[in-house]
Amino acid sequence: MRIMGIGGGAREHAIAWKLGLSDHKPEIFWIAENRNPGIHKICRDNQGELRTGRTTDAKTIVRSARGWGIDMVVVGPEEPGFHGIPDALEKEGIHCIGATQELSVIERSKADLRRLQWENNLPGKLLFRTFKNAREASDYIRKNIESQPWLQNIVIKPARQSGGKGVKLIEDRQVYLHDEKERFKEAYFDSLQASMAAYSDIEDKILVEEKAWGPEYSLQCFTDGKTVLGTPLVQDNKSAHEFDSGPETGGMGSISGPDMTLPFITREEYDKSLKIVEGIVESIQKKTGKSYHGMVGGQMMLTENEGPTVIEMYSRLGDPEALNMLAMLKTDIIDIFQAIVERQLSKLKLEFTSEDAVVVKVVAPNGYPEKRDKAKGHPVQVLETNIKRNGCYLFWGNADLHEDGQVITGGSRLLALMGTDHTLPPASARIEKTMSSVQLADGWGLYHRSDIGSQQLLAKRQDVAERVRPLYTYREEHGILGSRMGWVPRVGRIDPSHLMLQETHGPEKA
Amino acid sequence: MPGLIGFYTFGEGRENWDASQFIHYGLSALQGRGQESISLATIGPGNTLHTLGGKGGVEEFFQKNKTTLPKGFIGVGQTSSYEDDYLVHVKTPYELALALDGKTDLHENRGEATKLFARQLSQLLHSEKEPLKATSMLINKIGGGYSFVALTHKQELIAGRNPLGVKPLETGSVGFDIAAVASETCALDVMGIDHTGPVETGEVIIHTPEDIRGNTPANSPSSFCSYEYVYLARLDSNVHTLPIAKIRNSIGKEMAKAHPVKADVVIGVPETALPIANGYSQESGIPEEFGFMRTGENIRAALKPTQKERLLGVQLKLNPIKSAIKGKDIVLVDDSVVRGNTLQNTVFNLKRNGAQRIHVRIGSPALVSPCPYGVEIPPRDELVSGNLNEKELANTVGADSISFMTIEELQHAIGLPRQNLCMRCFEKGAGTQ
Repeated sequence: MRIMGIGGGAREHAIAWKLGLSDHKPEIFWIAENRNPGIHKICRDNQGELRTGRTTDAKTIVRSARGWGIDMVVVGPEEPGFHGIPDALEKEGIHCIGATQELSVIERSKADLRRLQWENNLPGKLLFRTFKNAREASDYIRKNIESQPWLQNIVIKPARQSGGKGVKLIEDRQVYLHDEKERFKEAYFDSLQASMAAYSDIEDKILVEEKAWGPEYSLQCFTDGKTVLGTPLVQDNKSAHEFDSGPETGGMGSISGPDMTLPFITREEYDKSLKIVEGIVESIQKKTGKSYHGMVGGQMMLTENEGPTVIEMYSRLGDPEALNMLAMLKTDIIDIFQAIVERQLSKLKLEFTSEDAVVVKVVAPNGYPEKRDKAKGHPVQVLETNIKRNGCYLFWGNADLHEDGQVITGGSRLLALMGTDHTLPPASARIEKTMSSVQLADGWGLYHRSDIGSQQLLAKRQDVAERVRPLYTYREEHGILGSRMGWVPRVGRIDPSHLMLQETHGPEKA
Repeated sequence: MPGLIGFYTFGEGRENWDASQFIHYGLSALQGRGQESISLATIGPGNTLHTLGGKGGVEEFFQKNKTTLPKGFIGVGQTSSYEDDYLVHVKTPYELALALDGKTDLHENRGEATKLFARQLSQLLHSEKEPLKATSMLINKIGGGYSFVALTHKQELIAGRNPLGVKPLETGSVGFDIAAVASETCALDVMGIDHTGPVETGEVIIHTPEDIRGNTPANSPSSFCSYEYVYLARLDSNVHTLPIAKIRNSIGKEMAKAHPVKADVVIGVPETALPIANGYSQESGIPEEFGFMRTGENIRAALKPTQKERLLGVQLKLNPIKSAIKGKDIVLVDDSVVRGNTLQNTVFNLKRNGAQRIHVRIGSPALVSPCPYGVEIPPRDELVSGNLNEKELANTVGADSISFMTIEELQHAIGLPRQNLCMRCFEKGAGTQ
């Protein structure tokens, strides 16, 4: 059997690793934008090869797949899906594990995802508004901030995935700092509008959502369109620096295990989260008339108004969350992919280890994420035997293997180290012990987050979970889960969630 | 002694933040540490460091200078209990503005010692390539007990706490945009920033536009200022992970156990001693009453520089509520006694308004030595407890009895090992360096 993977990050290295461990002994081929040293080696050891090329270019991908005589393709990152790579492959009769263009809208367009949730009145949603331009956004908020108090504490996002534009959180809870927050908010609207102007194909450019608080976690799933199978919960850490401070990154490391849930999430919350992801898969299939086959994930948060709530959706596995999940996976990955292709996932029993907790820590060159040009181009030195001796695993990320055998940093997250143990803190300590095995030969600095998996950070997550859980369970017991009741002088009783249902859904169903 | 704020922003649009507004409200929350002199420094897009300083209080300063506040998106601020005590601006060789709480041992005078420290930091940052290494070297070399924040012309915000860790410093962040440091967690709360943990003893944290980096502090024995727990820190703060409110309650309980007395009511001297009185009442079963009403704003009388201002503060602060006092035997709870004359004034007021017996209970050991780290405890000849014993003091202030906590009782109430607490102001023979 010949398998081809797409993508060159740590997530794809982990997928290649599991393919290499399969009893089906597939021949492994790959296309990535960088020569990922880990994937390169796995391909070579499994009668295949890694070719560099644009992973969003259908022609390149299809030509390579045909040339290599590929039976099945597995797509790692989200961009190939956004660009219709799975669609192009399937048109050629090549099986593809990965969300097609229309279905990947749940990740590509944050506004469409919210609309889908409200139109179908699915649980776990957030209040939202979309705007055509900055002026409309600031006018609307200024005008309605009194009568719709949720507009004070918001998250601003580009309504569609847009190069490098991040998420801004504005918590306007101190009236004495209101002018500050308002000025910052309006300036950000302007800059978002400028960067979104390039997209003429969509009307809505700016998305504003209510700001929720609570512990976050990811639930990654496999689906064949009929069955959605959940995998162990993973928590990623998005801030660049210790104890959740500093700029937003793609993810600096993640924890999972030792079971299907995390130490601060209950089994019941897991089940509810899975139901939410199932509901979204079902709704998007209904809406598009297409069948979803591949990976899907919910970036979730426990919130006071909704309990388990969708922050964003993945139309793929998370990076680095995929590493945790794949490390815990006992079922042969090819069996899963075949079941997806044959739409037989309901007959498959997914098995995961229940003995090991897994910690993943990402190592990035100084400069990432704000000054990537500075982080790029440094020679890497890794003592792989040291890492193995400490019982840890190395997954290469944004690294490029040159002809002379030297690995060079790409400017983004360089690699991930993974450690396992019976509980999280010793797994984290294991990685810390071997961290010095990774260096840059020119003396440029590397950083990572030592707090991921530590007892201290776990206690912090636990504390947040224990504050928010009684709030949503109280609402659940009193039949007001999902409502946002308020009373505004001169306006009277309000419930913005009710209004939003009426708007998206028609009054009769609300 | 000063309260410190450092405010930092990251990411796209950071130039739209106005650091001075955050510093304003952060310093407001720290004015319990003193507000005679206010100063701040910020950096704007041009990388120029702007500073401004003036007489307090915090609110008056920011109102008066509304139009001339230095504009910038990162900054540091200081509110100090000393007159003419501003952050230090060093222009060469490496431009920086530094605010320091506590005292380095570079000079006898606190202000001079801070200036020398700032100059040495500027020199080292200039000569060493790695700012983190340079600053770590400096705090391990220069003795004393201090925490500081510094803003450099390269948009670095440096926060550090020397290995002794006498003075507190806490970190916080919110979203992906903002990070901050402050002397106390209450200032982070007021700025709407989530507390992330203390700056560890011997730790240096450097914020740059690209990242936040810290050294790995050596495991040296720390010595936290016990006066922070008794008096200085605000009730809604955590100092080095310990909640102040809980400690002050424990102090009251500890006092009731070790220094019991028969009385009708427990009355606390506002504001600091109120939670201590509350703990005393809970443990002893003697009901607590509100004994005083304040006129005007909250003044921390003990931190005022002159005797007249201190008495003025106390007299305005402490108008007795006669119905709570008349005909009663009273346990009067205060946090500390410095010179004794404000206590004398308070006892006199209670007696004149019909109190029967007055038993004074002080929620800290007797202050007998000045502070080597800059807390404004006066010289020994001004400390009443350095000169009179409890009985003599009771007679002097007109109370029926007076007792202080012992050092052991205070240590027990705080709950830290003795060797991790600085109690030099409570120890005879100490206090000089």
